[in-house]
Amino acid sequence: MKVQRPGAIAATCAISRKELRVLFLSPLAWVFLASFLFLSGVFFYLGIVMSGEASLRSMLANLAVTLLFCLPMVTMRTLALERRSGTLELLLTAPVPLESLIVGKWLAVMALCLVLLALTAPFPVVLAQFGDPDPGVLLTSYLGLLACCGAFSAAGLFASSLTQDQMVAGVGAVLLLLPSWLASVARDLVPVAARQPLDHLSFVEHLRSFARGVIDTGDVAWFGGVTFLFLFLTWRSLESRRWR
Amino acid sequence: MIETHDLTKRFGPVLAVDTLSVEIGASGLVGFLGPNGAGKTTTMRMLTGFLPMTSGTAVISGFDVFEAPLEVKARVGYLPEAPPLYPELTVGEFLRFVAEIRGVEPGRRSHRIGEVMEQVGLSGWEGRLLSSLSKGFRQRVGLAQAIIHDPPLLILDEPTSGLDPAQLVPIRRLIRELASERLVLLSTHVLSEVESLCDRILLIDRGRLLADGSVAELAEGVGAGPWVELVLDAPAEDLSVRIAELEGVETVEQLEPGRYRIRGGWGVEPALGALAGAHGWRIRSLVRRRPSLQEVFIALVGAES
Repeated sequence: MKVQRPGAIAATCAISRKELRVLFLSPLAWVFLASFLFLSGVFFYLGIVMSGEASLRSMLANLAVTLLFCLPMVTMRTLALERRSGTLELLLTAPVPLESLIVGKWLAVMALCLVLLALTAPFPVVLAQFGDPDPGVLLTSYLGLLACCGAFSAAGLFASSLTQDQMVAGVGAVLLLLPSWLASVARDLVPVAARQPLDHLSFVEHLRSFARGVIDTGDVAWFGGVTFLFLFLTWRSLESRRWR
Repeated sequence: MIETHDLTKRFGPVLAVDTLSVEIGASGLVGFLGPNGAGKTTTMRMLTGFLPMTSGTAVISGFDVFEAPLEVKARVGYLPEAPPLYPELTVGEFLRFVAEIRGVEPGRRSHRIGEVMEQVGLSGWEGRLLSSLSKGFRQRVGLAQAIIHDPPLLILDEPTSGLDPAQLVPIRRLIRELASERLVLLSTHVLSEVESLCDRILLIDRGRLLADGSVAELAEGVGAGPWVELVLDAPAEDLSVRIAELEGVETVEQLEPGRYRIRGGWGVEPALGALAGAHGWRIRSLVRRRPSLQEVFIALVGAES
């Protein structure tokens, strides 16, 4: 009998493909897409048609906050449901490294996010009809949103790794991200001296450079760091089962 | 193939598996038997690397489960108590996914999927949604995913639970077949199953290994070796004393008037026949019996509690 093991990349792809398939076969992904598109449409109308400014700048933060509340709908099931339905036993007894499992699931959520961003294509098209938007700024705005997706889905994955209850995982993901959003709300209420630490925490502040058409290494590193931190915590959370 | 040493699992104050030490060879069918809650599933989960042990070691094919989990997982096929299925996928999609994460080479996957589907009796079911399958068929898919990578060790947690009698026969035959070239460790609380299937039985109760051996060996262990049951027609008097005088008879016990349990060597039956003939007793039946596993089981588990 020959002993076989999948390569790390092959395993990651297999997990990702399965995850995407299951995601799109469940109603959740569609509810997620619909609710995000509806809310972003409202923001688009209020922010751009009403203000008359041909850029996504004003609505970028709003879209990111919408993601914060919508993305947990998708991430909440990733690990919590596997645990509840017993399929986690299948994944954790297969010769798949934990990293492949986690990155595979994260990539699947990111692929869904790409679909989502592609579906917002009418916004820039409408902008181009009525104004003269800067393509560079549009591109960096989308990159900023993608960076948000990365960080938020990593946090969602972590929340989902802690429980077998999907609702808890969903609410947990929002709670994990809430401080980062509230920091941007609170900054206007506190003395100037206290603003700086809040700005560091706030993803809205880190989105500003993207909204201006600038790719700021510091901000890119911030999103990358948050993503990595939460993926690492997910890994720790699953790995710690070995020690309990 | 499997070697455990003082394997222990504690869930808080509950001792689920208590210093379990066993050694199991490279092939055959080993039955893991015990009442519900005895620690069978927990032990299997530790062997597959799903649950960490509290203390002790488990080595599979020379690889420590804790130190080299991926090496161990690559060598084990595992069917958990509830088959782990994704209801959204079809049988074919699911088996393809398992083949992928089990590292079956891309070129061989389709062939392998066809092969195992035939083995477990799922041919033609490739396109069925897993959510639409009955318990028996879910169990078959579970078995198919456990053997798709042709593992040298197969761990099956209650593989026949929920199957109807018609499904039971072919699945048992398949398990028997699989055990001819690999080690199959299966758990069950169905006594007749281990009795008819297994070469070796590990009896556990409350996390402790109570007995280890074939049914006959277990029976010897509780002092319940084979005996001869003699039923005579109608004599009301107790003939125990006269039977006991026969050569080769060790003990005689009158179970009820006319019915005796006699322990002794193989020469006992003809001697009994001769004795009955000489006295004109009419023999209704004279059978050599072995204790059923159930009796052994009750003797062992009962003695503990």
